[in-house]
Amino acid sequence: MIDVAQLKAHAKGLLEKGTVRTVFGYRKSTAGLLAEPAGITEAAQADDLIFDPSCVQNLALYLVNDKKHQAEKRSDDKRPVAVVAKGCDSRAITVLLQENHFSRESVHVIGVSCEGTGVVDARKLARKLGNKKALAVAFDGADAFAVTTNEGTQSIAAAEVMAERCLECRSAHPTLSDVVFGEAKAERGLHTPFQAVKAKIKESEEDRWAYWSRQFDRCLRCYACRSVCPMCYCDECVVDSISFVIAPDTTAEEKANRIKWIERSPAKSESAMYHMVRAIHLAGRCIDCAECERVCPVNIPLRLLNTRLEMEAFETFQYNPGSDPELPTLTSSFRDTDPNSFIR
Amino acid sequence: MTKRTGVFVCHCGNNIAATVDVVRVAEELGREEGVVYSKDYVYMCSDPGQSTMAKAIKENKLDGVVVSCCSPTLHEKTFRDVTEEGGGLNSFRCEIANIREQCAWVHSDKPKATEKALKITKAAVKRVQHNQSLTPIGVPVTRKVLVIGGGIAGIQASLDLANAGFEVILVEKNPTVGGHMIQLSETFPTLDCSQCILSPKMVEISKHKNIKLLTQAEVKEISGFVGNFKAKIHQKAVYVDPETCKICDDCAKVCPTVVSNEYDVGLTSRRAIFIPFAQAIPATYTLDESACLGLNPVVCGKCAEVCEAGAINYDMRPKVITEEIGAIIVATGFDLYGKENLGEYGMGRYADVLDGLQFERLCSASGPTGGHVLRPSDHKEPKNVVFIQCAGSRDPETHCAYCSKICCMYTAKHATLYKHHVPDGQAYVFYIDIRSGGKGYEEFVQRSMERDEVMYLRGRVSKVYEKSGKMIVLGVDTISGKNVEIEADMVVLALAMQPSQGTADAAKTLKIGRDKDGFLAEAHPKLRPVESVTGGIFLAGAAQAPKDIPETVCQASAAASKVIQLLSKDELMHSPTVAKVRLSHCTGCEMCVQACPYGAIDLGAPSNKARVNDVLCEGCGTCQAVCLRAAIDVKNVAQVQIHDMINACLGV
Amino acid sequence: MAKVEQTAKDETGFEPKIVAFLCKWCSSAGSDLAGVSRLQYPSNAVPITIMCSGSMSPMFVLSAFNKGADGVLVSGCHPGDCHYLKGNFYARRKIYLVQKLLQFIGLENDRFRMSWVSAAEGAKFAQVMHDFVTDIKKIGPQTRLKAKRP
Ligand SMILES: Cc1cc2nc3c(=O)[nH]c(=O)nc-3n(C[C@H](O)[C@H](O)[C@H](O)COP(=O)(O)OP(=O)(O)OC[C@H]3O[C@@H](n4cnc5c(N)ncnc54)[C@H](O)[C@@H]3O)c2cc1C
Ligand code: SF4
Ligand code: SF4
Ligand code: SF4
Ligand code: SF4
Ligand code: FES
Repeated sequence: MIDVAQLKAHAKGLLEKGTVRTVFGYRKSTAGLLAEPAGITEAAQADDLIFDPSCVQNLALYLVNDKKHQAEKRSDDKRPVAVVAKGCDSRAITVLLQENHFSRESVHVIGVSCEGTGVVDARKLARKLGNKKALAVAFDGADAFAVTTNEGTQSIAAAEVMAERCLECRSAHPTLSDVVFGEAKAERGLHTPFQAVKAKIKESEEDRWAYWSRQFDRCLRCYACRSVCPMCYCDECVVDSISFVIAPDTTAEEKANRIKWIERSPAKSESAMYHMVRAIHLAGRCIDCAECERVCPVNIPLRLLNTRLEMEAFETFQYNPGSDPELPTLTSSFRDTDPNSFIR
Repeated sequence: MTKRTGVFVCHCGNNIAATVDVVRVAEELGREEGVVYSKDYVYMCSDPGQSTMAKAIKENKLDGVVVSCCSPTLHEKTFRDVTEEGGGLNSFRCEIANIREQCAWVHSDKPKATEKALKITKAAVKRVQHNQSLTPIGVPVTRKVLVIGGGIAGIQASLDLANAGFEVILVEKNPTVGGHMIQLSETFPTLDCSQCILSPKMVEISKHKNIKLLTQAEVKEISGFVGNFKAKIHQKAVYVDPETCKICDDCAKVCPTVVSNEYDVGLTSRRAIFIPFAQAIPATYTLDESACLGLNPVVCGKCAEVCEAGAINYDMRPKVITEEIGAIIVATGFDLYGKENLGEYGMGRYADVLDGLQFERLCSASGPTGGHVLRPSDHKEPKNVVFIQCAGSRDPETHCAYCSKICCMYTAKHATLYKHHVPDGQAYVFYIDIRSGGKGYEEFVQRSMERDEVMYLRGRVSKVYEKSGKMIVLGVDTISGKNVEIEADMVVLALAMQPSQGTADAAKTLKIGRDKDGFLAEAHPKLRPVESVTGGIFLAGAAQAPKDIPETVCQASAAASKVIQLLSKDELMHSPTVAKVRLSHCTGCEMCVQACPYGAIDLGAPSNKARVNDVLCEGCGTCQAVCLRAAIDVKNVAQVQIHDMINACLGV
Repeated sequence: MAKVEQTAKDETGFEPKIVAFLCKWCSSAGSDLAGVSRLQYPSNAVPITIMCSGSMSPMFVLSAFNKGADGVLVSGCHPGDCHYLKGNFYARRKIYLVQKLLQFIGLENDRFRMSWVSAAEGAKFAQVMHDFVTDIKKIGPQTRLKAKRP
């Protein structure tokens, strides 16, 4: 189990020495169960850092946002930033490195291993607790969470209330880090990967369409899913004309060549298009942090959609997103032996 | 988006008009947004048709033109020329809508065919309205050629180019040109002496005013692109000034170190200071650094002491030479398949198991035995010689899968030569098939069987072993189905030809592809056999595939003529429909860089975003489809054009 | 082959709208050959010639369905024959992913198809067209992804 004191000490050391500009980590939320992401800049704040099953967010997003802010501020502080990264977060950082979003030197990765468990799924936990309200959750041994409610603390088998993605996680230990806390655990004995996707594939075409049709219909196109995704870092999203950037140097030709692939209205057909484009754009890039699904206000099963192609990447193309920053990406590479029989 | 499109709908006599209501197509197109002129005409491609078009472009101040007619492969050029020359409008403002091959000729229901023709033409209108005026990209060329490898392929190509008036830099990594051919004794099928036909060419190389020969040199770096390459060539220090060397051999006589002689494939030895063979080009002694005791008068210095001409200088240093060239020919040749891989045939274990090149040396008048076939072990004349074909070839499980193509022929030659040298000897050949396609080749093999009584045994040899001081070749004769055991005085293996190490190195430096066997990959197996995938880099000789001398020479001359064609103009013209990056949208993710089949994109200033090299880009659009952010588009087939065309096809 | 058009007709009178993306060097040339050979096939597919199947953006496929296509075909040179050497290998991988995604969300399987048609395969081109139209006629109009337009 991770010794949080060591984590704090490490962060403190970095800030005291001034080797990093900011440390992105988690601290206890002022409201609700889940931890809140924190960007700390002073050594004294390091004591606020926590790491427990409530640390669900993918902090790679904060690196992406930080880059934007630094550019907006025209900051010339070129020191690296440190970030606390679970297995999935580190995979996201790896993909961002692969896509040259920032350089390896500009980020100091403080890896944290999820070891045998992972993070909590707040909805599952609420269901489990019934009318009790969870106030805090901590690791409890190798396979349980200690959940504190207004009625005291109880131990719950982690597998019962863990996030689905953690149950299916293929690398709970950071794939990339400058320092790592916690052990790598080879046999986690949880779910087999892509279980949910495989179950959905077994359904009939009609049932699948009925299911997705319902989902697309409910989408509000609030774009929360895109905002929380560390891979959706484009300034201008190809399927959202609202995000079209008009800069002083945007030429008339460029304006004329903007393509409105879909309408802005949240009609089912347009939302379907949006989600499919996003799924395609995430093929080989989605590292399964499931943040899109978590933030969706109407509970659209986005993880299910996006892991469909991740399964293909992994099983058909032996491509594991976030495993190696030096690899060419899934769609900018091929093998002679790629499937061919689907072609007439 | 342009606003004054003109549409010309061709009847093609009755070819189109019989199934497509061309009048309706013209009428309806006239009502399309931005279309100011729309007419049908019986033969657009006829002279009157063309002048109608030219006139309409001018009179209506058209800024875009669609000709709805036959396939663009037929008349796109015609109509683009009319647009530019007759109409005064940039030719890239003209697009073709194919309503003949893709519509009128393949459908018979007139209303349906007309519907489809309408959609095809509307889509072309949408496309042309986004077209930009473009001009072909002119690229100045350096009229100088780099030839890598001084075997017969490199020699032939260099001479052809030099004689056509081009400057040639010939880079050879060995101390002399000549390659493998200079090691051969006689050549099939005519049995002319290899040295006699090659030496004059080698001399010509050294004398030609247009050829700069760099031996003991290798190309270490290539930058640039077709017409404008820059090469960095490293040349080893040779320690002997070729101009001053008198080739008197005084130095070698006193040199105390003895090493194996590469030219005789290890059958003889040479000194640290040596000339590879008498006719070597450049005609000079050279000092083998790795064998010399120390390049230092204190340690040895004997050779410098005796050299009366004063040609030896231990202070020479390696040189780095930079050359600007317009084209490159890679002629880096082959190596024989590693003998260490063929333990079953006793290679390396028994002194009298030789490879084909060693046997060539034994037959050669300039060879180690003065042209007498004698066994290396005891210098006795071998009376029974077994030749084993396909040693390492056609064996996908353990060795090379491919056929080395020339071994059948040179084995027949070896057996024949052997009989000429040892008339009372017996030659045996183990073979799988005899592949003797080529002018005079089959006759040559037949002669060796009949006149020289060579015993051809069909089958594989399973092993060569020693029994009471004798070498035994154990094989099966698949025709009689019997095992055969031959007591052999000498065994000669026709080892597979494989791409030389130098070929692998050159491919890496030049970033050109190799096939699954490691030979250089041609741009198209049938239609572009002497070009590499990279513009301006050509291939010749055994580096591309196993081949014999006539074929090598053909390919070398072909590559040279390709280069002449390329460099015959002062400027290369390149299609302007190339990719263009929208820097504001590019994030430098490198996906396009990875995917571009031509290596035409890199990340560069400003701020590490994608940058297209217009000259390398072929306009395939692979980049366009991998970019998530629509930050890269091919001019005049931009995504916005496809988007609008999709709409037109679906009537929305 | 000559009477392919007749057999493809069905009773409902439904005429599918199809967009066929053809690479310039093989499949478009193959369709030209079908033309020159006067091979008859149904007229439902409107061809869009693209430079190479490698330039086929998944956006084109999705957009075509959004705009109401009943079927989308992508056709390129056989593996190893791409005019641009590798374009069709990239296309194959990408199109495979798009197809899997469309299947997953429940679009009818037969609506999206890829084929390899060389410049010499005029007859194959006509056959591909005929088969595609026949199969789509069986499943009827595409409503799942089609945008409702005023
Ligand atoms: C035993 C045997 C017998 C043969 N008999 C006959 C015959 O009778 N008739 C016939 O037609 N053919 C015969 N051949 C085939 C003939 O040898 C070849 O066709 C011919 O030599 C091919 O010439 P080349 O220039 O392509 O390659 P090579 O002769 O291999 O020449 C390549 C040259 O490039 C140089 N080089 C390699 N890499 C580099 C580099 N990176 N930089 C600079 N220089 C480099 C090498 O040093 C070499 O000088 C025979 C072959 C063998 C093995
Ligand atoms: S899926 Fe959910 S989060 Fe994403 S846009 Fe739709 S409603 Fe918003
Ligand atoms: S969906 Fe695609 S274009 Fe839009 S933000 Fe995400 S990656 Fe970028
Ligand atoms: S793929 Fe697009 S975003 Fe990435 S480097 Fe190329 S042009 Fe730029
Ligand atoms: S169009 Fe093709 S050749 Fe040109 S840059 Fe893009 S991928 Fe490379
Ligand atoms: S040109 Fe036909 S697939 Fe590339």
